[in-house]
Amino acid sequence: MSALLDIKDLKLGFNTLAGYVDVLKGINVSIKPGEKVALVGESGSGKSVTARIILGLLQEHRDALVSGDVQFNGQNINTLSPKDRASLRGKDISMIFQDPTSSLNPVFTIKKQFLEVLSRGDEKLSRKSRVDRATQLLGTVSITDPKRVLNSYPFQLSGGMNQRVMIAMALANHPKLLLADEPGTALDVSVQAQTLSLMRDLVTQNNTAVLFISHNLGVVREFADRIYVIYKGNIVEDGPTHCIFNNAQHPYTRALLAAVPRITGTGLPDVPEVSDEFLAPYVGHMQVS
Amino acid sequence: MRTLRILARNPLSVVGLVLVLLIIFAAVFAQYIVPYPTHNGSVIDFAFANKPPSARNWFGTDLVGRDIFSRIIYAYQISLTLGVVVLAVATPIGTIIGLLAGYVGGWVENVLMRLVDIFLSIPPLVLAIAMMGVLEPTLTNAMLAVTVVWWPWYARLVYSIARAEREEGYVLAAEVIGASAVHISFREILPNCLPAIITKMTLDMGFVIIIASSLSFLGLGVQPPTPDLGSMVAEGARYLPDSWWLSVFPGLAILVAVFGFNLLGDGLREILSVDK
Amino acid sequence: MVLRTLLNRLLISLIVLVGVSMLIFGIARVIPGDPARIALGPNATTEQISKLRAEMHLDESLPSQYFHFLIDLSRGDLGTSLYTNRPVTLDIAEFLPATLELVFLAGIIMVSVGLPLGMLAARYRDSWPDSLIRVFALLTVSAPSFVWAVILMLLFAFYLPIFPIAGRISDIYEIERVTGFLTIDTLLAGNYAAFGDALRHLVLPAVALSLSGIGQAARLTRSNMVETYEKPYIEMAQAYGFFPSRIARSYAFKPSLIPSLTIIGLDFAAMLGNAFLVEAVFAWPGLSRYGVAVILRKDLNAIMGTVLIISITFLIVNIIVDLLIGYLNPRVRYSTRGSA
Repeated sequence: MSALLDIKDLKLGFNTLAGYVDVLKGINVSIKPGEKVALVGESGSGKSVTARIILGLLQEHRDALVSGDVQFNGQNINTLSPKDRASLRGKDISMIFQDPTSSLNPVFTIKKQFLEVLSRGDEKLSRKSRVDRATQLLGTVSITDPKRVLNSYPFQLSGGMNQRVMIAMALANHPKLLLADEPGTALDVSVQAQTLSLMRDLVTQNNTAVLFISHNLGVVREFADRIYVIYKGNIVEDGPTHCIFNNAQHPYTRALLAAVPRITGTGLPDVPEVSDEFLAPYVGHMQVS
Repeated sequence: MRTLRILARNPLSVVGLVLVLLIIFAAVFAQYIVPYPTHNGSVIDFAFANKPPSARNWFGTDLVGRDIFSRIIYAYQISLTLGVVVLAVATPIGTIIGLLAGYVGGWVENVLMRLVDIFLSIPPLVLAIAMMGVLEPTLTNAMLAVTVVWWPWYARLVYSIARAEREEGYVLAAEVIGASAVHISFREILPNCLPAIITKMTLDMGFVIIIASSLSFLGLGVQPPTPDLGSMVAEGARYLPDSWWLSVFPGLAILVAVFGFNLLGDGLREILSVDK
Repeated sequence: MVLRTLLNRLLISLIVLVGVSMLIFGIARVIPGDPARIALGPNATTEQISKLRAEMHLDESLPSQYFHFLIDLSRGDLGTSLYTNRPVTLDIAEFLPATLELVFLAGIIMVSVGLPLGMLAARYRDSWPDSLIRVFALLTVSAPSFVWAVILMLLFAFYLPIFPIAGRISDIYEIERVTGFLTIDTLLAGNYAAFGDALRHLVLPAVALSLSGIGQAARLTRSNMVETYEKPYIEMAQAYGFFPSRIARSYAFKPSLIPSLTIIGLDFAAMLGNAFLVEAVFAWPGLSRYGVAVILRKDLNAIMGTVLIISITFLIVNIIVDLLIGYLNPRVRYSTRGSA
């Protein structure tokens, strides 16, 4: 099966007041339709900007220099016109953010924002049928009183509730690809786990491909089919989740694995802050599928 | 280096800097550079009275024949002196009150900030006009009136920053090791207010010039024959449209000076906030 | 909840108003010389002066003088103007509407031009529309309104005689005074020609008065909106492909309008002061002409009355702004404590 998203030799740099800064140094990432893929690395490794490039947001940034191929569904996002890029957003590609409460506009009701998202999918839909659809979608994320939630402002709802709303919104227009940037990191661990399993069930049902961005290998273990490990703008290791967990080769991946808390753990793991070993060459695991 | 690069990115602030430096230079060395150094007083030269701009008098002459260009440069002396004195007095007063209210809190905060609220409840120009209404119209009194109007704005600015900083970890850390309130206010919190204060002072130089010229425009500031931009516009406005140069050039002189300070202040704000 | 906010606000305003009255009273009492002697002029006899001193309670202690001032004030009595020999309240009632009419129109111009300019600048930040608006806004705030008044009058009343030079309305119209607002009174009288004429007289003074406010409002809106554009919810709106113009007008503008409003209220206050300057240039028969006249005559009652009435107007504007913020900000609307 051909890839839904195929990133080849993607490079990104910023012109800043302190000069040119290299952020991505030529990464390759590929996602098949319906596949759940994780991109794991520490903050500043370049994982979040990758999502912004897939959405075509950074290409429109004045100080950003993007090169390489970002093939989505047969189109190169890097060379699309801003208008064509915008038409993919919210329809074919959708996104879930780190902190659900601050990602929803504080001065508008959930209803107004949800209806706006739905009209991205089908502009001709009447208001009445959009309200019905929003109500029904909130049901799919186990919200029992969708009417109240729709008429609420984000600050009146709990973080977990807002996260469910975000998930419902993100999947409302049946996107082919969902970008999840550290989803729910701002939430309590138990709430995060609940909403993640909810999200996993929904994307599996809808056959939505996911790029799950996280700094925590432990969080993606249950979620992802495959894992890319990114360090300082380079993919250092990738492979099926079980390979990464059972047979990690790259020193950085091993360090990340050592940092995953275990119930039987013996105190804090010993992870060096920076090590020359982390700059070791890329390791690719054989694709089993 | 970074400052230079920011300046290069903001050519407008360079324009502001040049304007401000030029005006300061002209005001300081007025006696040596103006074409008619004696025209700052009550000189009368009826042969050249009320003449439009020419090679002899670039901005024309006033009703008694004095060179308007020379008088504008002398008026800058007055405006800048007034601005510097007002800010030099109002800023420390406002800063200390703002720090006290912001850091100490409690009833001190309530009393001081209500006091500030009261001053801020009268439009600044109206308060200054009211003060000048009961005081004699002299330069010193104009400085006093504008200072009284000005300090509450600094108090409010510093207060809002100090209140936010009060909750910061480093303040708590200083409290834990037993630093005094004075030490925390002045050594820990004040440095964090400085960029905002400096930016505000640069921008305010322009606004002080505006409010002072407004007072003298109403006849409540510096009195003739001392040249003042506001009173020059007021006098000239009576002879519109024929003797337009009487009011237009002093008016533009205010515009240019204040514009310079505003451009510079805007640039400073960017430079100082980049470091955050 | 809104009612509670309102009551709370009114109470604070009342406290501030008492403070303002003390401040004004204090300023009036630092006057050098004997107010009674100044009022009666150089030819007054000693008996006349001591009679007036007693009337004005000038021989009593300061707190007692302030007490009398407050008592009179609570009865709506601001004393008699020594300049017009009429109750100050009557004078103010005559001159205030003209000033308010001017300031209201200037306020409307400020908001309806300044906010969209700021929004445009923020949406196209760091490109040419932003630079253009930045320079325009900086220019407008860089000159006192009397300079703009002189320039506008020269350009659009003398060189291009589009608007009248001075005054509120042409002499040919006799309009019965009902509200004192000529634009309203002409409409009440059904005289549309007079309404047009009054409006034409308003344009230049109002624009001159609003210019620096436009600049302030544009700068403020821009900087608040640029900050809002960094917020996750704007990135979310962009990630979902909402139209940029829609994001600017609605998703970024509304959250950034709320913090701007307080300052816009202050700019409105500044206009009440700057009206003094614009009125002087356009011979506008408002409170300023009266105010300057009484100041030059050291007419204490009239000075205090004028400043007090302007402060009250300002406090009312602030309360309206607070209510508006409460209405726009759901956090305030739905909070039980009623504070932002």
